Amino acid sequence: MNEKFVPRIVGFLCNWCSYAGADLAGVSRLQMPPSLRAIRVMCSSRVNPLFIIRVFLIGADGVLVAGCHPGDCHYQKGNYQARRKFAILKNIFESLGLESDRLRLSWISAGEGPRFAKVITEFTEKIKELGPNPAKEKVFL
Amino acid sequence: MVEKIGVYVCECGPNIADNVDIDKVMETISSLPGVEVVERHKLLCSQNGKKFLKESIQEHGLTRIVVAACSPKQHEVTFMKVCEEAGINPYLFQLTNIREQCAWIITDKELATERAIRYIRAALRRVPFHRDLAKKEIETNPDVLVIGGGIAGMEASLLLAGGDRKIYLIEKTDVLGGKVKELDKLLPRMESSLNIISQKIQEVEQSEDIKVYTKSEVEEVLGFLGNFVVKVKIGENKELELRVGAIVVATGFSMFDLKQLPRYGYGQYDNVYTALEFEKMNIDGKILLKDGKPPKSIGIIHCVGREERGYCSGVCCMYCLKFANYIKSKLPDADVSEFYQELSIPGKAHQKFYEDTKAKGVNFIRYDEVEVMDKGIKYKTESGEEKTSSVDMVVLAPAIEPSGDTGKLAEMLRVSQGDGGFFQEEHPKLAPVSTSMEGIFIAGCTQGPKNIPESIVQAQAVAGRILSSLIPGKKLELEVKTSEISEALCIGCQTCLEVCTYGAIYFDEMKRVSVVNEVLCRGCGNCVGSCPSGAASVKHFTTTQLHQEVVEALR
Repeated sequence: MNEKFVPRIVGFLCNWCSYAGADLAGVSRLQMPPSLRAIRVMCSSRVNPLFIIRVFLIGADGVLVAGCHPGDCHYQKGNYQARRKFAILKNIFESLGLESDRLRLSWISAGEGPRFAKVITEFTEKIKELGPNPAKEKVFL
Repeated sequence: MVEKIGVYVCECGPNIADNVDIDKVMETISSLPGVEVVERHKLLCSQNGKKFLKESIQEHGLTRIVVAACSPKQHEVTFMKVCEEAGINPYLFQLTNIREQCAWIITDKELATERAIRYIRAALRRVPFHRDLAKKEIETNPDVLVIGGGIAGMEASLLLAGGDRKIYLIEKTDVLGGKVKELDKLLPRMESSLNIISQKIQEVEQSEDIKVYTKSEVEEVLGFLGNFVVKVKIGENKELELRVGAIVVATGFSMFDLKQLPRYGYGQYDNVYTALEFEKMNIDGKILLKDGKPPKSIGIIHCVGREERGYCSGVCCMYCLKFANYIKSKLPDADVSEFYQELSIPGKAHQKFYEDTKAKGVNFIRYDEVEVMDKGIKYKTESGEEKTSSVDMVVLAPAIEPSGDTGKLAEMLRVSQGDGGFFQEEHPKLAPVSTSMEGIFIAGCTQGPKNIPESIVQAQAVAGRILSSLIPGKKLELEVKTSEISEALCIGCQTCLEVCTYGAIYFDEMKRVSVVNEVLCRGCGNCVGSCPSGAASVKHFTTTQLHQEVVEALR
């Protein structure tokens, strides 16, 4: 494992739960690796699988989609839809020869600051193991 | 057009300044294309800070604003207001979070600074793609639809009917009064239930503001707070379309189906009755066995279906004590036994009622298991002893369940069902009568088992919520960041119709494209995430905007 490698992780955080959870992690001064690039979206269901592929091709080493826990979605069922889209995307990733371990879907509530920090730390470790994203060089556009 | 972008970095006192090298941030940012001005401030959200921001925007004639400060969840609205005051559309501004997302989570100042710069660059790259978005307001309808003509529905209707709005009260059966009408007396004062409910029914029927529809059911609900369109089926073949601003669900409860539990002998042995059948017997005036003789010994069994349902209905213990009183007043010599698992008698008047009942010679038997036999009750005590009590009449207290059409109604209203299948409240403690759908409220047993005063309290709370939020003549602000679907790109697959929770997308059969109803759209972007052709887009979170942000964030 390359110790110096700092993964570039794009995290799509839903406005109502996960972004608030990230804020709480900040307020609680929980330290995290500087790997995350947080992008706020209103709902985890907003994130189109095609867009995630695009994010990979422009060089993300990992993509996190984080939303409200099942049953807690601000828009009622958005997170369930996000989960479906994510399941399909994982399949697509594998059939494209991309590493689906570079994708993560997590439920993080507004009250789960420590969980947010844990997810970021764990996912960063995972991506460190996998190394930099080779797709950027491999795929011709 | 080349944008003139202003970047404002907030020190947030020491909160950001201590861990982000603001001089370095400013130096890096000021050399970027499009950046007209970069300023720093001790505390931008202060009065002084807001004034500074407003004047600076005007002075430089800026067309786009980036503020690097705290979380948008904290001060996005604050700075949007400043933009508005400065004469720039508030959606041409972006707040990027360098406090919670940078200064507070990375101790290494150099890394935190680098990250702050990256976030500001991402915002800088995003803002040129922002568009003016206009605030939208719509008229609201102050009228209210109440579903269910029981005590909760009637109470809510009466309180809402103050002369300035119309109330439509929909009742499934042919009479008002609900379950309360099926009760003989109300504890603890043992007053006539019929008197109380008749008075309410009369008030409802006399009100000029309440229009009652019996034998009616809701068929379809569209819309949201302020503007619902409801289709109601009246009788066999009449249909009615109502326009209301809020909906109150007060559909009450059903009793646990005793046929599911043969061990209680219901329907199998003579003289085994449900609580409501026993009430009916008392309303009719006489407690009699099937053969016309009065019973000598009666067993009342609590907690029927409690384990199966997984919750205590909370009201059965008290009405079972009431039953003992019914019996003791009509048949003073009859032997009465209460078979219970747990006694639940909280409340300021209930302990006394229990003690008074006990003093009348009623037996209390705690059981672990119970089985009804012909003319007897077999039970196992806590210590495991098996006993039999001979009784010639059994009264069962079944668990309270959501009424039969709760599932259908929940789907129609797009409100979820929670524990036990009851309607899910917005928050169990802080918002017990509202739901996740704005403008739809729940009162009484539709929300969970409860007694009459609790149902009344909920009905009154619902009335309060509606009266304070749906004021006649007051306009409602709509979501600005709604979805839109490009007519040119839409392939007519209708995936968006399927995923939209709010019924906010309809299909134009002529043009064969999906169309967003902006009044209903809440801007989640689910349709955008699901659209295979890239036709759907959500304002302020467009794919282009996110793409630009991500590209810079990854640099």
